[in-house]
Amino acid sequence: MTDATRIRSLDDPELMVDTPATIYDAIPPYPPRSEREAEFYNLRDGEMLINLGPQHPSTHGVLRVVLKIDGERVVDLDPVLGYLHRGVEKICENGDWHHAISNCDPLEYIASMFSEAMPVLVAEKLLDLEVPKRAEYIRVLAWELNRISSHALFIGWLALDLGGLTPILWGFAERDEIVEMLAALTGQRLLFNYLRIGGVNGDLNHEFMSRLGDWMSHAAKHIEDEMRLLNESEIFVNRTRGLGVIDRETALRTTLTGPVIRASGVPYDVRRAHPYSVYPELDFDIPTRSEGDSFARYMLHFDEIKQSIRIIDQVLHQIPDGPVMAKLPRLLRVPPGRAWVAIESPRGQYGAYGISDGSDQPFRLRIHDPSFFNLQAVGVLTPGNLIADTMAIMSSLDPIMGGVDK
Amino acid sequence: MTLLHDDPALRFELLADLAGVDTGTTMQVVYHLWSALSPDWLRVIVDGLTRDDPRAPSVTFLWAGAEWAEREAYDMFGIIFEGNRDLRRIYLPPDYQSFPLRKDFLLADDSARAPGMGVRPMEQPFFPGDTRRQAVLRSSPGTGAVLGPDGEFATLAAGGTGRGPEQIPPETGSGTVTP
Repeated sequence: MTDATRIRSLDDPELMVDTPATIYDAIPPYPPRSEREAEFYNLRDGEMLINLGPQHPSTHGVLRVVLKIDGERVVDLDPVLGYLHRGVEKICENGDWHHAISNCDPLEYIASMFSEAMPVLVAEKLLDLEVPKRAEYIRVLAWELNRISSHALFIGWLALDLGGLTPILWGFAERDEIVEMLAALTGQRLLFNYLRIGGVNGDLNHEFMSRLGDWMSHAAKHIEDEMRLLNESEIFVNRTRGLGVIDRETALRTTLTGPVIRASGVPYDVRRAHPYSVYPELDFDIPTRSEGDSFARYMLHFDEIKQSIRIIDQVLHQIPDGPVMAKLPRLLRVPPGRAWVAIESPRGQYGAYGISDGSDQPFRLRIHDPSFFNLQAVGVLTPGNLIADTMAIMSSLDPIMGGVDK
Repeated sequence: MTLLHDDPALRFELLADLAGVDTGTTMQVVYHLWSALSPDWLRVIVDGLTRDDPRAPSVTFLWAGAEWAEREAYDMFGIIFEGNRDLRRIYLPPDYQSFPLRKDFLLADDSARAPGMGVRPMEQPFFPGDTRRQAVLRSSPGTGAVLGPDGEFATLAAGGTGRGPEQIPPETGSGTVTP
């Protein structure tokens, strides 16, 4: 057996030894694999390459970016992904539909209520299943709470990447209340594994409702306070306003979704464009802004938090009584077919394309993660800016590497 | 695609998704498009790409953001998108040689049940334009189902038509991997 075909196991003692130490070199030790790679690693006079990451605090996970710089200016950049790649799609094909829920959980680990919904919604669409009304309302409640917790963290992160420490503490304080609330509902703080095919895992309980009531009484005020904290900071505003401007056409061409595209003036929100669950019965606005810069994206998150609080208020008034799970057999055979579903996650359109062959396992479950598509915009936005502003731009796109790398 | 994107009566401006699919017999590329004028998504399936040399035209000239999605489909399925300037692996390391989301790529625990199967180099395109094969593709009995020629799903019986040219030795009693 030749060396190339040898099956390597993880406890092979030579595995780490013969891994070349050059894998973190900026210039790859192999011939260029594409036109673009050849162009990127061909340096002109005065240009140099630096590595950002993979373990850089500002990259929100393990993202490595090779920057081509001329002095302090970024000329070009090459994001290197895959440090968190787990092959979730393949794992989902090898487990049954119920396993896929917990496998999809850690994709978007800041707001996993959205990523775990993917196999659930695909299976429900293929089964043509009517989910009980109460379960739908509980889902919307959990989604909107999770959206707020994710947005609160985004605002803190953006300020942290610009050098301000206080807002992230405020953001975490806000997020912690919501996460504890969801832990009372689901039993988990981070990876909830709460949605089920046909409903949700459990009904609303007393602890959740009392925590929710506490939080609702001061949520709007906390958000206003946090907004004042940053909007009155001259440094923050100067470093985000007019930076990383993306216009409408470029945003559509780059297939951006979520707050990023709405900050550029495209009112694409899946909750309105293709209403799902009980969103048609709820009254809320889709905030948009036209500037398309980092500051617009930041402000849009506040607008969305306000709309989410509005939705939660309506859900609490409208939620009906009834069961929270549809009647389904335990061994679930999903009828053959193809289904595409999409929901609006905090970062944009979270989609899934599922194919079933009639067995209890997905034949194919393609996860469309908005972070993956939004992160491409750094290649458009950063050239011409300073290295320090690369962080501000990347952070304003809000990528979650768990979802980017799948 | 250009017509769908540019026609003022259609205006599918947003590429909602680009997915590669391996049906077990052919490869497909599936696009989902969104238009502000239509209440629904449009699904476009490029069907019938051969498994040996799947090639599809790139849509990066319409949506620059399709670049990474095409890189992912190349990484996972080996589908070559002609016209994509940056077609290289996106997740897996550059010296990786397989396309893991293909149906004939079995996981390590499956390989323990089927000797000789598993994570191993199946093919090695040295350069995205170059698809020289090094090994014969093999599929194992019991990998699940394949899509039939008329689009219907048909479950493969053991030893059915999905068998590759090389016959696989029958499963032995012990569940160990033979080195």
